[in-house]
Parts: sequence; structure tokens; C-alpha cells
Amino acid sequence: MLQNLVKSVWVPMKPYYTQAYQEIWLGMGLMSLIVYKIRSADKRSKALKGKIFASSKGWGTKDTILLSQDTVSHGL
Amino acid sequence: MNENLFASFAAPSMMGLPIVVLIVMFPSVLFPTPSRLINNRLISIQQWLIQLTSKQMLAIHNQKGRTWALMLMSLILFIGSTNLLGLLPHSFTPTTQLSMNLGMAIPLWAGTVITGFRYKTKVSLAHFLPQGTPLPLIPMLVVIETISLLIQPMALAVRLTANITAGHLLIHLIGGATLALINISVTTAFITFIILILLTILEFAVALIQAYVFTLLVSLYLHDNT
Repeated sequence: MLQNLVKSVWVPMKPYYTQAYQEIWLGMGLMSLIVYKIRSADKRSKALKGKIFASSKGWGTKDTILLSQDTVSHGL
Repeated sequence: MNENLFASFAAPSMMGLPIVVLIVMFPSVLFPTPSRLINNRLISIQQWLIQLTSKQMLAIHNQKGRTWALMLMSLILFIGSTNLLGLLPHSFTPTTQLSMNLGMAIPLWAGTVITGFRYKTKVSLAHFLPQGTPLPLIPMLVVIETISLLIQPMALAVRLTANITAGHLLIHLIGGATLALINISVTTAFITFIILILLTILEFAVALIQAYVFTLLVSLYLHDNT
């Protein structure tokens, strides 16, 4: 199956993937960097919010205090 | 009603597995690979359409730009077929998802910009300042041109998402209104039904036009950079 895939896809498309689309690969790298940054920021903020509301008193750690002060100052 | 309106835009899953990948790959089944010199009617019509579109789209490009012919034709075929398939009732349209459209727009736009900076660095940098700008306005205009460059992929993606999503929402709403009006007033329901038919015809046109606009803009960005 792999041989068939190489013969039918890779062989005709090789000049495109290796030469013509070099800049598009770089663009895809840029896009994956953006996606990674957005997802990690989202995960971090959700984890922090979870810490505040999951703890019994809600003022457990320094991070949660700073974040809760920040949310209070923004009127949330 | 509110929950039903946006339910069709949720990513579909079957038995817990996401089937978005299958839906995205489905339009390729509708374009069989030509295997003979003279093919069947479907493939011949598709080849004729592709030749017509590619001739018109690639006329402005030089040799470097024409290396993108396969990419541009694949793009217009994919977006056009995906948008048209999305007009089937109860189907999922991948191009209503901003993530999908950003995933198409950012690499292609970045590809064109990197091509420009790689092969024509001075000309690419010169694009940041229009010709004939008065001296005091130069700093401001460089900032404005930079922002307008960085906004291009966002505009590409959001334009496609908003147009297709808005069209589908309107069809949902007017279809729902038609159904609700049947019990109240048949004449009004009939008029609303006529509006629904006209809107559906418009959505067919919008589906193809948006594919063309997306591809044309990528082609124009490429032309500026090659």
C-alpha cells in the first residue's frame, strides 16, 4: 500500500513538495506556531481559573490571588 | 430554537470519533483522476471547467507565479465543492469553521509574502510605502501598510466564514419561519417560501463566488510578490 502511495502520490508531486511549495511549508510552520501559542494560553488560563473556583476558599496560592485581583479589577 | 440554529455548525462526531476529516476529504471523491486521453463525460466537463478557470486565473502571472497553478486550482475546486455540498440539507460545511479557513489562509498568504521577500526583497519592502507619499505622512503610512498586510489572512478567512455561515443561518431562519407561518397564514407562508427559494439560488451563487474570491485574492497576493 505504501509503495502504491509513493508511486501514485509522492513521485508526481515531488517537485511541488520539495521546490514549489517551500514557502508554503514555512507558512504552515508559522500557522502551527500560532495554533500552539493560542492553545497553550487557553490551557493555562483554564487551569488557573479552575484552581480559583475548585479550591474551597478560593484564595489558596499566589497565582490564584493575583488572578482573582486581576478579575476583580476588571469588574468580572 | 436558538440551540437548533447553531447546532448544524458544531463539529460532527460519530460514536465519539470526529468525522470532520472524512467530510473534508469527501469532495475529492467527486473529482476522479483522468486515466485516459479521452475520458467520460463527467471528467471531460471537469477538465474543461478547470482549463477555463486556470487560463483566466493564471493569465496575469509570470513563470514563477505559474508554479502555483496546481495549488490555486485545487483551492478553488475544494472551496467551491465544499460550499456547494454544504447546501445539502442537514450536511456539515467545513468552511463555516474559522479554524479551517485560517488553516487555508495563513499558510497561503505567508507563502506569498515569504516568496516576495525571498526573490524580490527590495520590491517587497517597497510595497510598505505607496509611491508619491508626502514626507510627513511616511511613518504613519508605513504603519498602516504593515497593518493592512498583516490583516490580509484574517480578512480572507473571516470573509469566507462569515459569508457561508450567514447564508446558512438565513436559510435556517427563513425555512423555520415558512414552517411556522403555514398554520397562521398560507399566503404569507407561500411568499416566505418564494423568498427561501430565491435565497437558496443566491447561496448557490455565493458558494461559487466566495471560492473564486478566496482564490483570486491569493492569486493577487502572489502576483504582487512574484
